[in-house]
Formats: sequence, C-alpha cells, structure tokens
Amino acid sequence: MIAFQTLAMGIFGLFSFGVLKAQSDSTAQNPTPDPPPNKARGGSQKVLLAGKASAMWQSSEIKGSPSANSFNPIGLMLMPLVKINERLFLDAQIEVDANPDGGGASVNLNELIIYYRVAPAINLFAGNFSPKYGIFLGVLDDFTNRYATSPIGMGHGPQTQTGIGVQGGIQVGYSKLNYQLYVSNGPQLTVDSSGTNNGVLNYGNYTDNNKNKAVGGSIGFLPFSNSSLQVDLSGQYAGKTGDAGTAFENISSSSWAADLNYFHVFNPIMVRVLAEYNSTQTQNFNLYTDDSHTSLLVPQFNNLQTGWFAGATLRASGLKNAVLSNFELGGRVGSFTAPKDAMWGGNMVNQTTVCLTYWFTWKTPLNFAYDVYTQSGSPTQTAWVVRSIFFF
Amino acid sequence: MKTRIRFTILSVSFALLGAVIISAGVTSCKVPEAIAAKSGAQLWGENCNRCHNAPDPRTYSDDQWDAACEHMRQKAILTNAEIVKIKDFLKSAN
Repeated sequence: MIAFQTLAMGIFGLFSFGVLKAQSDSTAQNPTPDPPPNKARGGSQKVLLAGKASAMWQSSEIKGSPSANSFNPIGLMLMPLVKINERLFLDAQIEVDANPDGGGASVNLNELIIYYRVAPAINLFAGNFSPKYGIFLGVLDDFTNRYATSPIGMGHGPQTQTGIGVQGGIQVGYSKLNYQLYVSNGPQLTVDSSGTNNGVLNYGNYTDNNKNKAVGGSIGFLPFSNSSLQVDLSGQYAGKTGDAGTAFENISSSSWAADLNYFHVFNPIMVRVLAEYNSTQTQNFNLYTDDSHTSLLVPQFNNLQTGWFAGATLRASGLKNAVLSNFELGGRVGSFTAPKDAMWGGNMVNQTTVCLTYWFTWKTPLNFAYDVYTQSGSPTQTAWVVRSIFFF
Repeated sequence: MKTRIRFTILSVSFALLGAVIISAGVTSCKVPEAIAAKSGAQLWGENCNRCHNAPDPRTYSDDQWDAACEHMRQKAILTNAEIVKIKDFLKSAN
C-alpha cells in the first residue's frame, strides 16, 4: 500500500511538475525581447480577471484501518477585479468546485465587495466579505499557504459574511497601523434536536435570521519601518444568533483572535514565521421540546472552541542556483479544541505538518506535505498531500 | 467574565486607534524623511513579500496593474502612499 501511495504521489508530482514546467518554460523558450507596449488602451475602467485553478492528491490513513487516496478537490476560482474609477472598486470571487461524488460542479459566490475610497485612510465597503479575523483566513488560505493543507484550528470563527464596514492603513512615524470595523448579519445558531450540530454557528447567510447585527473589527500594528513584523488583534460580537421569535434568539456569541506575521531575508535565507490563536464562545443553552422545559432533548455544554497554529518556512532565495532558490521548506504545529460534550466536539486534536514547496513562478507553487493528526482516545491519522495551484 | 474583559480590551484598543486616526488627520502627522524617500521597488519588496512572493512586474498590463493594486490596497490594507509608489514601479516594467 505504501508503495502504491508513493507511486501515485510520484505520478501526480511528475504530472504537475511537467505541466508547471511547461508553463514556466514557455516564457524561457519564447522570449519576447521587444514586448508590445503594454500600456493603457484608454477608457476609465480597469479590469483584471484574475483567479486560480487548483488540484490536489491526498492519501490518508488511520492507524489500524485501510488507507484511502484520491484526487480531490479540484477547483477553479475566478476573481473579477474592476476599478470603476479612482474611488470605486469591485472585488469578487466566484468558485467552481467539482462535485466529489462525480457529475457536475457547484458554483459559489464566495465574495462580492464594493469599495468606496473616501480618503486615503478611509475605505468604505459593502457586500459579502471575509472579515480580517486572524492571519490565515482570507489572507494565507490561498496560493500563499505554504503547507498545502489548512491549520486544523482555523475556520471555526467568523468567516465570509454580509454587511458593511470601513478600513484603512495609516503611517504613524516609522510604524504603521491598519484597521477594519464592520457590521454584518452575523452568525446563525443551529438548533438541532438530534444534537448532531446543536450549537454550531453558520456564517454563510445572505439574509439575517433576526434584527440583531454582529459587530467586529481588527487592528494591525507594524512596528518596524521595513514592515517585517505585523501583529493583529481582531474580534466579533453577535448579541443574538438564534432565529427571531424562538427561545434561542438571544443566544450570543463572541470571537477573538491574535496573530503575528514575520518575514525577513537573512541573506541568502528568507524566513517566514506565522502564528495565530483564536477563540469563539457561544452562550450555553438547553434544548427542550416544550415550553414548560420538562422534556430535555439536548443538554447544554460549554460551547467554546479554541484553535492555534505556529509555523515557519525557510527558502534560500538568495542563492544563484535557480532551482535550489525556488524550494521552500516549512514546518507547522497546531491544535483545535471543540466543545468536549457536544456531539460534534470531542478531545483536542493536534496537527503537525511538514511541507516542501517548489515555486515555478511567483504565484505557481507545487506543495508536497505530510500531516499527522493525533487525538486522545483516537487512533493517529496521517496524510500525504500533493497540491498544485495555477494563479493567474 | 473573560468575554467581557476581552471585549473591554478590544473596545479600548479601537478607541485608541480612533484617537490616532483623528489626531493624524488633525495634525497631519509628518512622515519621517526615511519613510517618505522609499522607492516603489523597495516598498514592493517589503510589502508584497509579507504574504506572497513579490510579483513579477511583467505579469500584467498597466490597466491590469491598476485593478490588481486596488485589490491589494484593500486586501493587505496598505497605505495610500505605499500603493501609489508600488503601482508606479510595477507599471514601469511595461
């Protein structure tokens, strides 16, 4: 089985290498010494259809059980970016994911944001947006993720939601500050009499389930003049998450996160360090079948979720050797703790990841990763992952 | 109780930030000479590399860089001075 996994990983790796090499070679083999003028063609609107195509191969094994492997997920994301004029800007993300069960695909509008620049440090925005919450989601969960897989502790707090906000960046002496404040529909509480998902928050709602709005924001501080270090503090509070008119309407939820992002070149080595801690606390509640509260369906539990990760990568970007300088080696540890007594919870899960990335271009990585998941009372799970992304 | 403390800290932080923004606007906080003198190429290396590899300036046309830089102004919440210089540098390759 291990031999098959190695073979499959090797074939997929070679395939990706070939395609990516062809992409990078096409530039080298067809040099354009005198490129045509790439200047503006007139008109005030500036449009860029950016996006990415990604493919992944995973082989996972739970100790004592047969392993499974598959090419999944395969997806395409389109990002229409439209600068309407000097103040108005449209930013969207449309994701097309292949149906894992075969046949067809799902299309999702991940983001649709309209920005209006009032002043250099004051940008208003409205739409369906990913709030600045921690350093991973919305920032490093793309081709920028050098570990192929997501840290297990991320994605359990505020995610893409609908609302309005303001943000901006300010130079304060040699340091910089950035901020974001927003009001959104906020999360919706899942009330599930089977208990399976009782207490889970759902952020992907276009229409609100009550009159209350969530408020959130973040502050980023870059203390050094070369912007090498950024530390952020972010949070969100929703006073009501349940459906209007129900006994659960007033269940509140609060989330906060702290993170840091450090980058520096100690010639010839480029070092990156990332870390984040986040916590989401949702108010506890009992789920009864009747108003007299005599028939308890799902007992309350401490609905607290916490997650963290810390990782570092090294890349010898200063080397003259073009191949060696494109390799980046990373290591990452982290954990996620779900509510222990919830049916969807359990004991803390730890994750350890090592990953080797080869950069074909500045936005075309090929990642080889190995993940180990451990959980008290459960068998260890391991996974080999090969991922390629073509960002365009 | 812990939640209340966290949000008190967050609220105070935002209040301080508000004060900084207002004071920066009112007093037109002077940018140090060393910062103001930074070139677009230097800012490109310092800021873009924070999250992803610094982009090859030959990747897009001038119009496309306009749209891409607006995207990064919002995504990375860069200052206006930074994004203007970086955009000029990226366009200079065309």
